[in-house]
Amino acid sequence: MERSYKAQKVIDRLGQKLNRQVVGSLVACVHCGNCTDSCHYVLANPDDPTYAPAWKGDRLRKIFKKHFDWTGRVVPWWVGAKSPETDADLEELKDIVFGKCTNCRRCTMNCPMGVDFATFNRLTRGLLVHVGIMPEGVAVVSKDQWELGNQMGVLKEDYIDTVEWMSDELVDEVGDDKAAIPIDKSDVEVMYTINPREAKYDPRTISDAAKIFWAAGESYTMPSEGWDMTNFGLFSGDDELGGTVSRRVYEKAQALRAKKVVISECGHGYRSTLCEGANWAQFDVDFVMESSVQTMLRYIKEGKIKVDKSLNISSYTYHDSCNFARSCGMTEEPRELLNLVVSDFREMYPNRAENYCCTGGGGAMSMTEYTPQRLKSARVKADQLKATGAKVVVTSCHNCVDGLTDLIKHYGLDMEVTQLVNLVANSLLVEKAAEVPEAEHAVSTTLAFAGRTILVVDDEADARRFIATVLEDNGATVLQAVDGDEALQMMRDKKPDLVTLDLSMPGKDGGRVFEEIRNDSELSGARVCIITGKPELRRLIYERPVREPEGYINKPIQEDVLVSNLRRILELTNKAA
Amino acid sequence: MTASHLVTLVPSLNDARQHSWGAFMCAENREKKVNGRTIRLLQHDITLLEGVDAFVFYAQHDLRLGSGWGNAIMSRGGPSIQKELDALGRIETCQVVVTGAGELKAKHILHAVGPRFQEANLEAKLKKTVSEVLAQADKAGLESLAIPPMGYGFYGVPLPMTAKVMVDTIKEHLESHKDSKLKDVVICLNDKREIAPFESRLSALN
Ligand code: SF4
Ligand code: SF4
Repeated sequence: MERSYKAQKVIDRLGQKLNRQVVGSLVACVHCGNCTDSCHYVLANPDDPTYAPAWKGDRLRKIFKKHFDWTGRVVPWWVGAKSPETDADLEELKDIVFGKCTNCRRCTMNCPMGVDFATFNRLTRGLLVHVGIMPEGVAVVSKDQWELGNQMGVLKEDYIDTVEWMSDELVDEVGDDKAAIPIDKSDVEVMYTINPREAKYDPRTISDAAKIFWAAGESYTMPSEGWDMTNFGLFSGDDELGGTVSRRVYEKAQALRAKKVVISECGHGYRSTLCEGANWAQFDVDFVMESSVQTMLRYIKEGKIKVDKSLNISSYTYHDSCNFARSCGMTEEPRELLNLVVSDFREMYPNRAENYCCTGGGGAMSMTEYTPQRLKSARVKADQLKATGAKVVVTSCHNCVDGLTDLIKHYGLDMEVTQLVNLVANSLLVEKAAEVPEAEHAVSTTLAFAGRTILVVDDEADARRFIATVLEDNGATVLQAVDGDEALQMMRDKKPDLVTLDLSMPGKDGGRVFEEIRNDSELSGARVCIITGKPELRRLIYERPVREPEGYINKPIQEDVLVSNLRRILELTNKAA
Repeated sequence: MTASHLVTLVPSLNDARQHSWGAFMCAENREKKVNGRTIRLLQHDITLLEGVDAFVFYAQHDLRLGSGWGNAIMSRGGPSIQKELDALGRIETCQVVVTGAGELKAKHILHAVGPRFQEANLEAKLKKTVSEVLAQADKAGLESLAIPPMGYGFYGVPLPMTAKVMVDTIKEHLESHKDSKLKDVVICLNDKREIAPFESRLSALN
């Protein structure tokens, strides 16, 4: 049988990509099995040998032996040399390198021979992406980042609207015009870069960071482009994407003559922008880069900001992101900072470089076809979290926030996830220029939903009632629907300004209802906020069978989160209209 | 958004001429005349261009707009574009279909399915796709057209190949189609690093 065109291209490409480090890793494995139990996939699937790092590594090793190593040419049967021959072989390889490994590098730590399996797992991903074989979510996200400059498809006007909106909110909150968030200001000390997840679904992290910069009197700016410090090239194995994305950040920092780039809390963003990007981009970086964790810690140590740890009253543990801790050695700064802003900190075991992956790493959150095996492997992390007895898990990574949130729902843990920036902002002691009276707050919140009609779709009467009450208290006219069909009908009849849609409903589930809304020419423009904790949400966000929802909120719903998220959606609609 | 951000966001081609931002490039090697018509380079968001009749979108076989520029077209242009595409069904590699541009500034979008991911005969297919784009532009009587770096980026066509095929094919078309109404062909680039290969190809034209 003749080898398929794509299979041949993969083999050719491997030849171009081999370097001493990779070859060293490929030939060094002595199959001692030391790494086996270090992998969370193995621990959750003890009877399935196909999850073992060495077994997974052998998939690439076989190709290498067959085509590039003399042993494979002389005694192929002895060393297990084997080529991929068909497109189906490549699909199988895809399910291993994308579906059975998060590139967390924990196995690397436990290999006496220094085999860095994650590196050649990434390399194999790159070989497949090169010929167009990848999970749908990886394709969607990569294309967004190539073309729109960020991996969540945030349009420039939406990004700027969001930053300006958070800026206005902050100025109102602290009563000082100087708290406004500058955009594209040049000759500043700091250019602050973020994860697009913040602009899209978690803007509070932006205003929290801005509040800290303001309190510290920092000269900073957010850039209008080159603001996404995440990099899907790290996950997809596409070095060219990696270089293109990091170059955008670097070029913008130079154009603004910023002395330093501060990277918000994101493990893979930090690793990509600070450690790998300059190499991918072949770029001469002439400015400093640091994590916002280091920035915040320095502000406190230098007395630029004052914090009161009694303002964070829960019990906290810390999850080390693989990229942040294991790959970049950032283990002590987050702990030092955390201990400055909370009093009840409980260490998780194992921790630091030995910590287990959140199971959402390596782009796993975007690969929804592997969700069941991802959540199964998350049992290891769930046990780790539970054993701490803490109510809140803190992490310095947006990817981990999503990975942990999903597994907390899945395993029914009574925990929340937060980031250091939120805790620092919450414990900040600031002298308010002018105290805004409570009454004024009430008025402005009331105005937020006044004149708005919001449709609440949820099968549970309690949830519906709760949301409806909050919205009505804030001036909205509320419509209620108990299932998808009723919701669609009401949307046609009443044309609400916004719909909150529960994803888990019996009968036609919320995901299907959402797709119907988007595919219906009359309803497709509707603003929809998904209410859920279900992993199905990830499919809507990453694979985007239809245009993604305007926002989402996790259950159980917190009142302030509900109000601020819905306000954001409506506020931005206002501006666009 | 404030006015100052809007300026960098949606400069018309005329505004952009005066703009210091660097988006518009009118240096010698970034603009060439062929038969009295212009081929030029611009660094801009292609879906926001003003002053062109149409722009090209590197489409998928099933004509779903999808992510990337497709996402921008959908969000900024409204639902009518996807609706038109749905009625057209599916197209093959090297084929091009034309739709309206909804609420976008351009009047039309040319949806072109080019080769992707190292597929066989990449260069020949790319050339055929670019030719078909220009043929469709003539058929629609367009005077100005913006084309992105076809196939470069997500679809993995090497940048030098994209630059060579595009510049050469556009030049050949403008030379050989005397009846073409096209006066202004804009090669609309996304990143600064994409400029150099196009510049050198353009300046090599005589
Ligand atoms: S520990 Fe290292 S040498 Fe041993 S099986 Fe794992 S990768 Fe191979
Ligand atoms: S990198 Fe992590 S997920 Fe992948 S095999 Fe090693 S331990 Fe398992």
